[in-house]
Amino acid sequence: MALNLTRRKFLQTASLAAATAAMSGCFARQANASTPFVKKPFTAPGSFADTKTVVGGVCEMCFWRCQLVGKVRDGKLVKLEGNPKSIDNGASICARGNGGVKLLYDPDRLKFPMKNVGKRGAPQWKRISWDEALDECATKLKAVVDKHGPHGIAMFPHGSSATYPMGFFENVVGTPNISEASFFQCRGIRDMAYVATLDTAPDENVDMANAKVIFLLGGHFGENVHVSHVKRYLKGLENGAKLVVVDPRFSASAAKAHTWVKIKPGTDTAFLLAIMNHLVKTGKYNKAYVEANGEGFDKFSKGISLATLDWAAKICDVPAKQIKEVAELLAANAPNVSIHPGRHVSWNGNDFQRERSLACLTGLLGAIGVKGGFVAGKGPKVGKAGGWPKINEEHAEAHALHKMAKKYQFSPPGTPTDMIRDAAVSGKPYAIKGFVAWGQNPIQTVPGEDLTIKMLQQMDFVMVCDIMPTDITMYADILLPESSYLERYDMIKPGTQWDLSGKQEQYIAARMPLVSMTAADHERKDPVWITNELAKRMGLGQHIPVKTQEEKTEKMLAGANLSIEQLVKEDGIHVQPGVDPYGKVLKVKFFSQELAEAGFPAVPTYLPVPEPPKGFARLVYGRAPVHTFNRSQNNVWLVNEMPENPVWLNDESAKKMGLKDGDRIELVNQDGVKSQTSSVLKVTPGIRKDTIYMAHGYGTKNPAMTVGVGKGIDDQSLITKLAVDPETGAHGMRNNFVKFVKNGKVLSIPA
Amino acid sequence: MSQTTSISMAEIYRFLAQSMRYPSPDWMQADYFSVLDTFIAELGWDTETQALGQSLFESDDWLEPLQVEHTRLFVNAIPTVIAPPYGSVYLSADGMLYGPSAEKTKQFYREQGFDLAGEADIPDHISFELDFLALLAEEGKSDEEERFLSLHFRPWFPKFQARILQEGRHPFYGVLVNLIDFFTREEM
Repeated sequence: MALNLTRRKFLQTASLAAATAAMSGCFARQANASTPFVKKPFTAPGSFADTKTVVGGVCEMCFWRCQLVGKVRDGKLVKLEGNPKSIDNGASICARGNGGVKLLYDPDRLKFPMKNVGKRGAPQWKRISWDEALDECATKLKAVVDKHGPHGIAMFPHGSSATYPMGFFENVVGTPNISEASFFQCRGIRDMAYVATLDTAPDENVDMANAKVIFLLGGHFGENVHVSHVKRYLKGLENGAKLVVVDPRFSASAAKAHTWVKIKPGTDTAFLLAIMNHLVKTGKYNKAYVEANGEGFDKFSKGISLATLDWAAKICDVPAKQIKEVAELLAANAPNVSIHPGRHVSWNGNDFQRERSLACLTGLLGAIGVKGGFVAGKGPKVGKAGGWPKINEEHAEAHALHKMAKKYQFSPPGTPTDMIRDAAVSGKPYAIKGFVAWGQNPIQTVPGEDLTIKMLQQMDFVMVCDIMPTDITMYADILLPESSYLERYDMIKPGTQWDLSGKQEQYIAARMPLVSMTAADHERKDPVWITNELAKRMGLGQHIPVKTQEEKTEKMLAGANLSIEQLVKEDGIHVQPGVDPYGKVLKVKFFSQELAEAGFPAVPTYLPVPEPPKGFARLVYGRAPVHTFNRSQNNVWLVNEMPENPVWLNDESAKKMGLKDGDRIELVNQDGVKSQTSSVLKVTPGIRKDTIYMAHGYGTKNPAMTVGVGKGIDDQSLITKLAVDPETGAHGMRNNFVKFVKNGKVLSIPA
Repeated sequence: MSQTTSISMAEIYRFLAQSMRYPSPDWMQADYFSVLDTFIAELGWDTETQALGQSLFESDDWLEPLQVEHTRLFVNAIPTVIAPPYGSVYLSADGMLYGPSAEKTKQFYREQGFDLAGEADIPDHISFELDFLALLAEEGKSDEEERFLSLHFRPWFPKFQARILQEGRHPFYGVLVNLIDFFTREEM
């Protein structure tokens, strides 16, 4: 036929009789053969067709959970804003919060359940139905349980969407092998050390807004943005608080500090011990508080008595004078000082002792329950719902690896990651053959990628549930797509007004959908539905505690005499009168009998960490203000704001190495592992010569993350030497050392 | 355009919309292939007929490779989703779903008295646009059909088509986008 044939001519001239007859058969068997359209008379857009404000959003671009409203135009979310009714973040949200819109409409988002018909690590995806996907997950997981026992399954969860399925695997299936990155690669050490000292997990409960001194150990607010937390910090500075920042790097906080302690990384505990010893020796501690509430103070003061200013000065590479200055500043302003507990504290494998020291210092200054001190807001009570019955608790307890080995007695809930991974790889003391990742990307969260991959490759079955095609999804046999935090009912966020000294109020917000999930071109499901379907198919349906996310939310709200309907009426946030949070006294275990009995140092103790080999410097990492580690690395807005993670190098070292600011560089670590990607060099006097810094979470490997892939360097891939904190079993991730590579040439770092 | 031609065009649009949906034995049967076959035979696309024949009819497990290819091209894939089947990915600066052009497409549907059934349906999915063209053709609205094609479909379709022709690993979708191209190209 002629090349310039048009469709009109084709229809008139072609012999289409056969097609005409067969045409109806093309659609007949399809269940929903009808058009995706409905008839609707057109009405010209009036005021009602304009943008609506939808209430009930709770952010999850990070885990601070600011309250949101969505601006929705004709079913499309066009903008996110802070909920003006919020007494927490207020109308403010951060760059990441704003970027949520771009997560919702990211073309790389997972859309349908998929089966890997290729290999683990080199997948070929085939879209399958939910029925097929769930049947296969249930059959395979059940087969693992039947053959190896419930403990044959390991689960790596993260985020609020993983709470409900985690309860199922832990309590009903009965596996102890659960590793939460938020504990074992982040804050678990802090929580356990404070529990051992003050009998409470600290969160970030320091009253910075009303403090006279704010003391940060590695905290880099400004680069680390949690809205109401930063509000407290800035309010404190505004009110004239003195800021002490202990950091090997001139961070955003160091830039605002009265005293920047340029400490040698890994030695912080020595620094803290010297401060405490100085306060004890000079009698400048809070005697009244310690006498009334301290336990084992004599053993403590004796135990730390060798930690002189000069001793610490040498270890920490900080002038003794400066240590003394900091100690005196804290004493002069006690008890109204904020000794910040930190958040991501899994640094060097000696971290429990450092966190214990922070808690002891807080106690020594009596900075508890007072303005500026360690104070937790008193939030409102809400109901509980969605908890799975603990039918297999005993089994889980008896098969917990750390309990079997009588190790890591101060482990946070779950099982230390390394023990799970080692057991899976070695098959000892038992086999672990089923793997579930839910919202966590262990390829990037857990150091020792090779071992993680070995663990995954030996599994009988790997199931992954996520929103985005993160690195771990490449290892899934079955990959399930979840609804995002903007599309589902979910958790309740209770709290108080951000400034603890302000008008005492409490709030209750519930995460409610800002936009609908009902669509023909994707089939995402929420975690309650997915877990319940899995439970039914594994023959455990009788234990299901709630049928839907919505029911769970209703039940929790009912505990506060609220309902979804009422909460929507109240613009998404219920506010009620609060309770004065000040005045609570906590006992301080300066000496811990419990630690002594478990064979650990019972008085805070400095344990030296490995030194960099010649030519290398220590690799440390931190947060970028526009990213939540790897979770936001495919967000076009956020990637545009900070596409790479510049690698910080001391200016004098750079000069000797012949490197310039802006050079393209790669890194190689002490084990010869080279970064798979490159980044840009930042040359600055604001970092020690023995330290290299970069923001964590960059260098995504999964090419399905089309925006983020290959941008910046993945520090995690360079963390091949593992440190494990002896008390908690949590990872220490800053005992690795790097050299630079430029144009294929390895460059040593001068001492 | 005569009435009979319009009706046929509606069927063709619907056929093309269906063809872009996930390959499933629910609809991919002898009748379907017979229509496809007739079209490409009448168009004289001999090479294509041969290639399709080899991949589809000379093997028993023809379906799974097609499903894998559909997933890779349009859903999620390694090394990258080749061709997300949504207009605004090609028309907006940031390549996101539900960009401004998608909202305008939805507005066009509205003006013609139609709306999408799913609240969160992304309006400019290729199958929606082809189904919508079928509705216009069915109602004999040929001017609107031409206007929709030139304002909302053709601005992105060639970019989408090019990606598939360049990156496709299975002859089926290459033939299909060429067929869509043929039936949606501006009349000369």
